[in-house]
Amino acid sequence: MTAALAVDSLDPYPVETRALDATLACIARHGLSKTTIDDIAREAGCSRATLYRYFGSRQDLVAAAVHAEALRVADLARGVAGAATTLEDAVVGVLGVAGRELGEHAALRFVADVEPEQLLPYITFSGGDRFLHDAAETLAPCFVRFVGDDATRAAEWVARIGLALWLSPTAPVSLADAETLRGYVRAFVLPALEPSHVRNISNQLSKG
Amino acid sequence: MYAGTYECVARFGLAKTTVDDVARAAGVSRATIYRMFPGGRDQIVRETVGWEMNRFFTRLAVEVEDAPDLETRLERALSFARASLLEHEVLQKVLATEPDVLLPLMTIEQHRVLRYITAYLAPLLEAERASGRLQDGIDVEVAADYIARMLLSLIGTPGRWDLGDRVEVRDLVGRELLGGILSSRGNE
Repeated sequence: MTAALAVDSLDPYPVETRALDATLACIARHGLSKTTIDDIAREAGCSRATLYRYFGSRQDLVAAAVHAEALRVADLARGVAGAATTLEDAVVGVLGVAGRELGEHAALRFVADVEPEQLLPYITFSGGDRFLHDAAETLAPCFVRFVGDDATRAAEWVARIGLALWLSPTAPVSLADAETLRGYVRAFVLPALEPSHVRNISNQLSKG
Repeated sequence: MYAGTYECVARFGLAKTTVDDVARAAGVSRATIYRMFPGGRDQIVRETVGWEMNRFFTRLAVEVEDAPDLETRLERALSFARASLLEHEVLQKVLATEPDVLLPLMTIEQHRVLRYITAYLAPLLEAERASGRLQDGIDVEVAADYIARMLLSLIGTPGRWDLGDRVEVRDLVGRELLGGILSSRGNE
C-alpha cells in the first residue's frame, strides 16, 4: 500500500490541506467577498498557479473548503451518534456537535454576521431545501439504529431544528447549552422522531 | 407609506427603490418620509419587508380562523401558506432577482414575525390545556415558540414534505409538530 502512495500524500501537511485551511483563515479575517486568490496563496505559502492547478477557480476553492468542513463536522456528528446508546443521546450529541463546531467557527461567524447575503441563499428557501436534503442524507446513518426506516426523516427534522435554533438569537434554547438542549429535545424532538411502530408497542404495553 | 414602498419594490426592485419613488407613490414629501423614517431608504425598505410578512401571516390567520382544533388549524395553515408563498408574485420576483438584498432583510424581520405567531399560538395552546389535551408539564410559551419556529421553517423550506398533500401534512403535524405537545394524538 505504501509503495503506491504519491510523495505528496506522505507530506504531513500537504498543499491541498494548507490551501483549504488558508481559505478559512482568510475568510475569518477579511470575509468571503474580500478574500482573493492572492490572499490565500500568501497564507498557504504557495503560488496562485498551484491553487489554480489543484482547485480551479477561487469559487471552486471556497466550495472545496466548505465541503471539507461539512465532511469534518458530519464525521464528528456520526462519531458522537455512534457512541450513543439511546436516541436521546444521539440527537443531543449531533445537535451539540453542530452547535459547538459552527458556533466556534471563525470563518462562518464572520460571514453570518457581516455578509449574511453570501450565506443565506444556501440555507433558506430552495437553497435550504438542498441543504436539508444533503444534511438528512449525511446524518441518517446516525439514527438508523434507533428509528430504522425513518432515519432520513428523523435526520432531516434534527437538521431543521439545528438550523432554526442556530439562525435565531432569540431561540429559547442554545445549541451550546447541553442541559437545556436535552430538555428541549426530550419535550419536543424525540416524540417527533419516534417511529409509529415503537409508539404502538409502548402504547399497548402501557395499556396492558 | 408601506403600501407605497411595496408598490415601488414590486415595480423597481429593492435596490433601485428610492426615497423619491416612495414619496411619489405614497403622495407625501421627502421631508415627511425622513421624519417618520430617520434611517431613510434602508429603514423604510426593511420595514416594508416586515410589513408584508405580517400581512402574509394575518391573511393566514384569517384563513384558518374557523378550524375546529389545533391540528386542523396547523394543517390548513401549512398548505395555505406554502401555496400563497409560491403564488406571491412580488416575493418570487425579488427572490429570483435580488436574493442577496431580500434574504438578510427577511432574516432581520423574521424575529418580529416569530413573536407574532408565538403570541397567536399561546392562547390556543392554553385552550387545549383547558380541554385536557395537552401533555403534562408542557411550558406553553416554549411550545408555542417551537411550533412557530418550525412553521416558519417549513413554509419557506419544506424539504422532503409536499405541503400540498393532505395525508403528508397530517402526518407531519401529528408527529413532528405536535407529537410532544398534544396528549390525545393517538386517540383520534
